[in-house]
Amino acid sequence: MSREEILTRLTEAVIEGDDSLVVELTQKAVDAGVEPLVIINDALTKGIRIVGEYFGSGQYFLPDLLLGAKAMDAGVKLLEPLLVGTSREFHGRVLMGTVQGDLHEIGKNIVGMMLKTSGFEVVDLGVDVPAGKFIEKIKELKPNVIGISALLTTTIGRQKEIIEVLTEEGLRDQVKVMIGGAPINQAWADKIGADGYAEDAITAVEICKKLVAAS
Amino acid sequence: MKFELFSQEELLQIHQASVEILKRVGIHTTSERFKSLLLDHGCEEHGDRIVFTEDVIEKALKTVPPSFKLYGRNDSHVLEIGWKKAYCQTCVGTPSMMDLDTGEKRDATVKDLEEYTRLADALDYVNIISPIFPRDVPQEIILTIETATLLRNTSKPLSICVESARELPYILELLRLVAGGEEALREKPIATIPVSPLSPLEYGFDPAEALLDVVEAGLPLGVEPCPMMGSTGPMTLIGTVAQHNAEILAGVIAAQLLKPGAPLTMSSRATFMDMRSGVGLWAMPEMGLAGAAMNQLGRFYNIPVAPGGYCGASKTADAQSGYEHLYNALMESLVGSDIIGSAGSLDNALTSCYAMLVMDNEISSVVQRTIKGVEVNEEKLAVDVVAEVIESHGNFLAHKHTRKYLRAGELWVPPLGDRQTFEKWAFTGEKVEEKARRTAKELIATHQVLPLSPEVEAEFDKVIARARQIEMGE
Repeated sequence: MSREEILTRLTEAVIEGDDSLVVELTQKAVDAGVEPLVIINDALTKGIRIVGEYFGSGQYFLPDLLLGAKAMDAGVKLLEPLLVGTSREFHGRVLMGTVQGDLHEIGKNIVGMMLKTSGFEVVDLGVDVPAGKFIEKIKELKPNVIGISALLTTTIGRQKEIIEVLTEEGLRDQVKVMIGGAPINQAWADKIGADGYAEDAITAVEICKKLVAAS
Repeated sequence: MKFELFSQEELLQIHQASVEILKRVGIHTTSERFKSLLLDHGCEEHGDRIVFTEDVIEKALKTVPPSFKLYGRNDSHVLEIGWKKAYCQTCVGTPSMMDLDTGEKRDATVKDLEEYTRLADALDYVNIISPIFPRDVPQEIILTIETATLLRNTSKPLSICVESARELPYILELLRLVAGGEEALREKPIATIPVSPLSPLEYGFDPAEALLDVVEAGLPLGVEPCPMMGSTGPMTLIGTVAQHNAEILAGVIAAQLLKPGAPLTMSSRATFMDMRSGVGLWAMPEMGLAGAAMNQLGRFYNIPVAPGGYCGASKTADAQSGYEHLYNALMESLVGSDIIGSAGSLDNALTSCYAMLVMDNEISSVVQRTIKGVEVNEEKLAVDVVAEVIESHGNFLAHKHTRKYLRAGELWVPPLGDRQTFEKWAFTGEKVEEKARRTAKELIATHQVLPLSPEVEAEFDKVIARARQIEMGE
């Protein structure tokens, strides 16, 4: 198989969401001497971009999207140790988590996966994350954007709390805040002073890009 | 009237799948109390999961009461849970409300909670009242304020879903004040308390502790996880049902191990992810089908069931809402449902709507009429009446049999729907949703709720003040 052929087949494997085939072909590409960054840019990222286009045109659905992202991720993981010295360029760094007292994470995970495959570096703090933990990690990692998720009607108040603590700590102008969750709407985002809200994962990526570009 | 979705063989197969999930995968919990309760009774620890054994499952399921009664705060409301009467329950926890004047969606307020509860109190076929979630009250004591507001605005039985045990002491105190003490509340419970563990198979600290506290308090428990097909449950209806059944049984078993004979309902809420937007759908047909499936499992175990059913994906009280709510509720009631929840909801149970509650009252009326079935006996078959009418060359209108059964309610009378002649209807040309909104306004303006005594009112204020003090440091 020529290098081009390997990269073409690798792109297709991402589109198919076949993670084991992606690992196999990524290894083949490395063995054939293709630069890791070239593999990422010309095959893995290309594949996931096409997955995104298929989703946009209505041909693909969320499971296709997540399997594509998982497949791409499997390839990137294999290449990461080889990337030392070279650096991947990200759109920006996003820190996300579900608020304290809430264990719901499906929506957050979908948004995280979408951001990752759209070229963001994503750090996920998981669920039941207290405001203090968000602050600590913001200081440590200096993300461009934080994404605060909440599903329960009784825990969405925590989103407001985190924004208040950010202001108290003098960090509010250093990071953009996005919020999400089934009971969340734009009115709530405006009320608590969040910078962005999206009702689905695709819009979340668009808004995230805009917020990073504006910062 | 009993419809079946599954044959006995299929039902056993689903049960076996749920049992296998409990034995192989089990549950996870961060509550030490919940964990040790299960382990002390023979469950086993496999890594960070607690798995069940055939013995524990069998033993615990034997002690579940097949029925219990739920009371209003006066004697006129007595609900027989376990008799498959399809009691209609309002939707819990919606943070948004459709404004009755503007028809626009906005945040729910405590004034909405008062008026919506009073409306539900006025509607004959809405039987159990659950609170919407107002945004303009301190969130630290939201359930305390909700419980007091419900009790002040209705005398019907309540259902108060708790996400943690934190406010439970105040809720219990309010309920006991109305019921006349702890023992009286236990004897005649005026509320069910559902708790909602996470899917798949996760009993987080808060719901696990709340479940145990509700059982300790002796109030009827609802075990109400809410999996979503394709995201927090498998992408097959029956796969999600088998998992859902397993996670509900885990809670049922824990409750029975803590207190054998504790009254409870399997409060199924199997929802479905829209695979383009990620929205959690409470729509038809899956919601009704899965609810019906869980209801048949409830019948199989002889455990009362309380699925969500008056729900759909429509955003307004329109024709889509009408057919979605009717489909889901009717499907569930035909297989046998004790309670059907989510009444008055729109937009996948995220919004409550006054007009929709009036429409759901209509749907509940026809659902409850339907499951009464059609009695077959000699007098109702009326062969003699047919003969007499033919012989006399008359008609049925002038026969006493007609008057008798008309008075007995043989002909369903819609509380809301239009049955006028075209000309009469065309005079205003009012659509059902417009009439529903008008009815809601009239009932809110005129309906009188049985008041609480001044003594109880005063005690309520004290409980709220204390909650404020302890939970908010005021």
